[in-house]
Amino acid sequence: MRGANFLPSVSPLNVSGQNLARLINLFNGRGDGQSMSDSEKRLLMCPENIHAGMKLGPVFYVVRPEQIEAFARGTRSTNPLFTGNSPAGDQIAPPTMRLQDYALLIAAHFYGGSGGVHAKHWNEFHAPMRANQPVKTEGRITWVERKRGKFYFELEYESRDAVTDELLMRQAITSVLLQEGKIA
Amino acid sequence: MSAAATNSGRELVSKPFLLDAAAAEAYQQGVESPPRRTPRVNIHTDDEAARTAGFPAPIAGGEQTYAVMANFMLDSFGSGFLRGGRLQAALVKPVFYGDTLTMHARIVDDDGPQLQLEVWTESQRGERVLVGTARVPKQSP
Repeated sequence: MRGANFLPSVSPLNVSGQNLARLINLFNGRGDGQSMSDSEKRLLMCPENIHAGMKLGPVFYVVRPEQIEAFARGTRSTNPLFTGNSPAGDQIAPPTMRLQDYALLIAAHFYGGSGGVHAKHWNEFHAPMRANQPVKTEGRITWVERKRGKFYFELEYESRDAVTDELLMRQAITSVLLQEGKIA
Repeated sequence: MSAAATNSGRELVSKPFLLDAAAAEAYQQGVESPPRRTPRVNIHTDDEAARTAGFPAPIAGGEQTYAVMANFMLDSFGSGFLRGGRLQAALVKPVFYGDTLTMHARIVDDDGPQLQLEVWTESQRGERVLVGTARVPKQSP
């Protein structure tokens, strides 16, 4: 629980947004916004290195109002919950705005590879994610399978308030890993 | 709409969503991707990469198709969806830039405290590109 103890001291109330982003990047092992060297710590993204049970993360971030607004524009949503005048009081993040946390978790542990094709996804929503909320996301590989020459894996991950530990969302992605650019 | 007013068999249909290159670019500005030293050539942006992977042209990210379905559920059933709701879906056909998507949700069971739904997204070709299920609490906060 290093992050939960760490984050309150760098909450938006205590440091500027720029410094908070820098501290979170440092905590996430990304330095000042730079990716890690491929030779450092991480594994090549290939079937041989992906195993059920592998834990990924945690990663930490603060939900930015600007991201909420950009995501709403990107999905052409006019839902007032996503605005600064939300009827819920707090500005709420669109349901899948942090779906791509899986990519942050993977990038923290793997490098390279050709990417993948998104095959399935599920989300369980427990509480809304709010603007300026500090969040911790962690996950694990729950399933891998080679089928008809294709390599599938499922990454299950959950997001919690980094201070209160309130569960916000659980989700999982099933992906077909591209190998040398090919599905199979 | 009010979830309490729904009943089994009722179907909700979204407005059409044009997923063109501009929409994909706007979507990318709203997600946080891992930092990279060089942009990755991928099936979403590169003709050759898409063909190598077996697609005739670059395909839209499945996440965006899934995202507009999730937004449709929130728009249709209110913020209660974010407290106890569930969505699961398979992306069964590729979506190409320029496709127009329409989201559908049919209530299959409204007994008990939650609505159970069948959901799917159709392209302008009439094919289902996303199929799945959803669950929505009847009581909105």
